[in-house]
Amino acid sequence: MGATNPMGGTSFSDQEVFDAFPDVHLTYDNIEHFRGLLQHRLVFNRCAECGFWIYPLRPMCPQCWSRQVHATEVSGDGVLYYQTTLYEGRHIPGFEYPHLTGGVELTEQKGLRYLAPIVGVTGEEVVEDTPVQLVWLDTTAGPVAGFTPRAGE
Amino acid sequence: MATRSNPIQDQVAIVGVGSAPYSRDSHRSLLDLGLEAAVNAIRDSNVDRNQIDGICGAGLGLGMMVTHGAGVLSLQGALGIPSLSWTMNGWLGSHLVYAANAVYSGACDYCLIVQAEHRISAWSKAANQDPFRLRDSRFGVHSTVPNVHYSEGWIHGAESYAAFANRYMHDYGAPREAFGMFAVNNRQWASQNPAAVKRTPFTMDEYLNARMIREPLGLLDMDLPVDGAEALVITSKERAKDLRPDPVFLHAMSLGQAPVAEFYENANWGHQAPWKAFQHMWARSEVRVEDVDLWYPYDGYTPISLAMTEAAGFAPHGEGWRMVQDSWNPDEQKLALLGRTRVHTGGGSLSHGRVGGTNYYTEAVHQLRGKAGEGRQVKGAKTALFGIGSFFHDPTAMLFRVD
Repeated sequence: MGATNPMGGTSFSDQEVFDAFPDVHLTYDNIEHFRGLLQHRLVFNRCAECGFWIYPLRPMCPQCWSRQVHATEVSGDGVLYYQTTLYEGRHIPGFEYPHLTGGVELTEQKGLRYLAPIVGVTGEEVVEDTPVQLVWLDTTAGPVAGFTPRAGE
Repeated sequence: MATRSNPIQDQVAIVGVGSAPYSRDSHRSLLDLGLEAAVNAIRDSNVDRNQIDGICGAGLGLGMMVTHGAGVLSLQGALGIPSLSWTMNGWLGSHLVYAANAVYSGACDYCLIVQAEHRISAWSKAANQDPFRLRDSRFGVHSTVPNVHYSEGWIHGAESYAAFANRYMHDYGAPREAFGMFAVNNRQWASQNPAAVKRTPFTMDEYLNARMIREPLGLLDMDLPVDGAEALVITSKERAKDLRPDPVFLHAMSLGQAPVAEFYENANWGHQAPWKAFQHMWARSEVRVEDVDLWYPYDGYTPISLAMTEAAGFAPHGEGWRMVQDSWNPDEQKLALLGRTRVHTGGGSLSHGRVGGTNYYTEAVHQLRGKAGEGRQVKGAKTALFGIGSFFHDPTAMLFRVD
């Protein structure tokens, strides 16, 4: 699956993205995010006019109503805004219990939060506002963007 | 003091309430339960069923097309109601807001509202062994959520509430006991409610030692999935006077909403939908929160009760946990907010059972009629306040009042 593109990395057709994420409600507005996951690139829709990062993924900037919205890669740095250790519950494809999960507030914008597994640390060892960095996890449910405490901090 | 007009104020009244028995395993369909509650509510209202011209049934999953459940398409025929001029399905507390606006506008004159719930397979491991519950889960009788990507996984789940509870404890220094007081309070009231499924009181120590499910939320922080149903009949103030001597008036209401992420991660404590709902509701009323006799904050998860309590104005955001601790009566093992307001007199979703908060409405009607029964009737109760719903979507702020 996928083909090497001249810019480096691998490109994936729409059909390949649909095949890779059979349980995700893919739309014209969010497919670039999931195409990015296959490429191990964390991308969000961003307004080309005012610079606002748009998540959940929308086709229009909620700040300035611009339609100039492009999928843009983030740095992968952020802080752990909130977290919970799950001991049981509904099945999380690709993961087992107990499981540390949380909302990471990305450095790019206040309130730009992404739900992700928190790895390399337990819930007892981590506190809110800990700096974290992106780490790619290839699970049985496909690539997932995870986060781990930032090295050296 | 009201800051804007509220034409619907006290113009629509509840004239009938009815319930079906709550249990962990009823061996009855959702429609069966809904019909029992509906018949009880219609009889209680003294409305002839042929006069019912509006129904708000149960269910959101497939909107109007809910079948084999307690949606309007099933209810109307099963109740033998010949003709409707207004129909809808709904859930949580918002169905009463939809229906009240329909009655006030003249879209219908006598509206039946039904909420029926099952202990569905998504909420209960044991329910996954039951072929009836498993089959229901495939047909959108309930608002089931499909499998999603990890990054969208908090939709309609407890995980987000647990994470918000941790953030609240981190930011404001609150202990788990602040959540636990709602759980202990509700069970204490449920011990006085013969209709409640869980009636054995527990202590704060037992709460703290209960099985941890999602840090910091344990088994006793989460509502009780049951089979059960509730129904209401509402009509205009003028028509109500001809039906019963004790109508309960809908004084003010709001379906507040904040700009949330679909996946529940972006709004901050103090700025979520409940705060919007109460801001808009209080702008439409002269009643003050200090005057409220009965308070029914959503208790699907205990942090929602604390959020609703702050949002309703009992305390500024971040300070509710101190107010709750100051409001604790250790002898009774119950809350009396600001020294007076009683909380979840029927036991709430945590102990009476989870029927989406419609049981709060029916319990309050019994209280405001003065007929809640020995032991749990709050003497002289005239006002009941509700915050029913989620941090994230269509929370209902509602105030009932009697003359």
